[in-house]
Amino acid sequence: MKIARIDFGAAGGPQVTYGPLGEYAGLGGRAMTSLMVATEVHPLAHALGAENKLVIAPGMLSGTTGSMSGRLSVGCKSPLTGTIKESNAGGQAAQVLARLGYAAVVLEGKPLGNDLYKIVINKDGIQVIVDNSLKLLDNYPLVAKLRTEYGDKVAYMTIGSAGERMLLAASIACTDPELRPTRHCGRGGVGAVMGSKHVKAIIIDDAGAKMRPPKDPDAFRDANRKFVEGLRKHPVTGEGLPAYGTNVLTNILNEAGGYPTKNFKSGTYEGSSKLSGEAQAELEIKRGGKATHGCHRGCVIQCSGIYNDKDGNYLTKQPEYETTWAHGGNCGIDDLDTVAMLDYMDDNIGVDTMEMGVTIGVAMDAGLIEFGDKEGAIRLVEEVGKGTPLGRVLGCGATVTGKVFAVERVPAVKDQAMAAYDPRAVQGIGVTYATTTQGADHTAGYAVATNILKVGGDVDPLKTAGQIELSRNLQIATAAIDSTGMCLFIAFAIMDQPETFQALLDMLGSFYGITMTGDDVVALGKKVLSAERDFNTRAGFTKHHDRLPRFFYNEAIAPHNQTFLMKDEELDDVFNW
Amino acid sequence: MTPSTPDQSPRFIPAVRLNLQLPTDQLEQFFPLFQRGVTVPATIGCSLKNLLCHQLAIPEEYVSERITTVFCDNCPVDDFEKTIIRNGSRIALSAAMPGLVGATMRRGGYYAALRQGISHLMQTAPAVVEDGSVTLKLFNLLMTELGPNLLAHGILLKTEELLVLRQGIPELKYNLGADTDQDQTLLAVSFLE
Ligand code: SF4
Repeated sequence: MKIARIDFGAAGGPQVTYGPLGEYAGLGGRAMTSLMVATEVHPLAHALGAENKLVIAPGMLSGTTGSMSGRLSVGCKSPLTGTIKESNAGGQAAQVLARLGYAAVVLEGKPLGNDLYKIVINKDGIQVIVDNSLKLLDNYPLVAKLRTEYGDKVAYMTIGSAGERMLLAASIACTDPELRPTRHCGRGGVGAVMGSKHVKAIIIDDAGAKMRPPKDPDAFRDANRKFVEGLRKHPVTGEGLPAYGTNVLTNILNEAGGYPTKNFKSGTYEGSSKLSGEAQAELEIKRGGKATHGCHRGCVIQCSGIYNDKDGNYLTKQPEYETTWAHGGNCGIDDLDTVAMLDYMDDNIGVDTMEMGVTIGVAMDAGLIEFGDKEGAIRLVEEVGKGTPLGRVLGCGATVTGKVFAVERVPAVKDQAMAAYDPRAVQGIGVTYATTTQGADHTAGYAVATNILKVGGDVDPLKTAGQIELSRNLQIATAAIDSTGMCLFIAFAIMDQPETFQALLDMLGSFYGITMTGDDVVALGKKVLSAERDFNTRAGFTKHHDRLPRFFYNEAIAPHNQTFLMKDEELDDVFNW
Repeated sequence: MTPSTPDQSPRFIPAVRLNLQLPTDQLEQFFPLFQRGVTVPATIGCSLKNLLCHQLAIPEEYVSERITTVFCDNCPVDDFEKTIIRNGSRIALSAAMPGLVGATMRRGGYYAALRQGISHLMQTAPAVVEDGSVTLKLFNLLMTELGPNLLAHGILLKTEELLVLRQGIPELKYNLGADTDQDQTLLAVSFLE
């Protein structure tokens, strides 16, 4: 494996160099991106300047025959939060890039002039080509155009007009097996950083490349078989997720009173059952779409789907729970077709669906449009696509929009919009929102097997202190899983089934020819988080940034009539290990 | 924490009772209703376990293995036996859910601390056992799996709910005719194999 660096500031135009892994040997995914950014990027650098780097890294097991191993991590200093950022996505890119032998591709420097570049990566190396014909194309037409030149046997990573305009909510799209730009590294404005390097598209062609060979092929095959068996037999990964996708959570959060409604004003929404994963799956099947679909080859869970319009034509991929919430209940909109249209528009323009949905909710609070105004929400996202002054404000996310329109209730931490869980109802999630290195992030503390890992020893989950310890342990374990390239949805099966967790360790161990234990996983997670925390500290972040917006402490939310109760000192304890 | 629920639910089964036999594929007509919640006549003042295992005849093993996410009046439930149902209780049943929040909401789960403050308080004090009704919601996989139990037990439907339902169920249209005057109908359904 090697690391390729493309210096866009080099005299005479972009220059590609290839080097060994060196100090980054054995790393993948988030571990690779975060350690490289923490080591090489000046923490006070302007996120859209020459000093920032965009690190693209497949996971430790990407490019192998291992199931679920196709997550791609993208890391940089975030223009949205000012912190370190890792944003990951499915799609085909990670597998293809890893098979070509790249542990990381790093975009560095900043080009002079206005030329727009595409990068072609294949078995012969990396070419950087000027292509100004791609200017201001959005993701769907952009990929369609590229396909006429590079065909259908490649993976594409692209930015839409939002990335080119360097809007702070801009994402990087990765194509799925059907070559649709539906899988996004969405969070933190990573698309703006790609735009700042003037890179519009990366075309990755693995023709002639082979699967990455494990050190011990038999043991790897055996471990992968057990891993897949474990995923298939678990009710979440084998039944719930394939049938309904992540949007199965709508009914649950609403029932728990933790479904943020109309910009976090209530914990329940009367229209939730119309937005549910159950209703969505039924509609998808009725219209000839799919309720079960994988975002990359080798996924055995297949939590995604295909959403067709009323006439049975493809509209977008199955909107996820967070998207359906952000554009749905959070905006008082209970119409799945509107949510699907907004999901398509976000993917096309290339913006984070969560950041955009929360931003529209803030805009509704500002009185730009009414809550529940479906056409109005579509109109506002259209403004983002057109790059109008209003669109640029909205495309820079909830915090910027809140400031411009003097809205007090902005649900964001470190300037990144919150996800679909109200921290007043689910206080433990609030601990993670507040303290994560990434800005409010629902995946930063995922349901990873902390109980099996025994990160931090045994925790009594019914004690108050458990919230802090659990959040800490979850963040450690998540950082480790994010480094493997495994989709986080494996979490349930490895949490409940020790033999499935062991199978994952055995896959890693047999692939790299090492013995991997739970302790090694914990150590990796701590190493990643420590590097991220250190970067943020040097970038000027203190414990005072690890707080929720004040309205969560001051406004009780129905139905539980509860505010966020965690004390500052408790939050400060999360990273004491 | 347990938000209070107004005790306005019917305590007596109404006189009008409708028994239907439907093809299995008609079960999905009830799914929107299951998600919004149906009123079910029940003996109240007893445990949730009693309601599920005895009154609705759901096998005990299924209840403990499969119904892993449960809410009573918006509060996640950890113990079926120590949750006493009251007149008008709103109970929601679900299979295991994904994500951290899915794990957090899980009955008696490892991450239960993360939802401290909203968990349903367990009750041990005896309550008066009498006739009443509860609102029951079924989500996700349980709609198909428990729907037949619920419908065999019988659900109380308001006129407007019946009118919506009969648009998709020809047998209901035929059996109901124009006679939709009564406030509540107890609909009991069995399904053809
Ligand atoms: S489970 Fe879902 S997100 Fe994960 S790899 Fe499969 S389709 Fe993609």
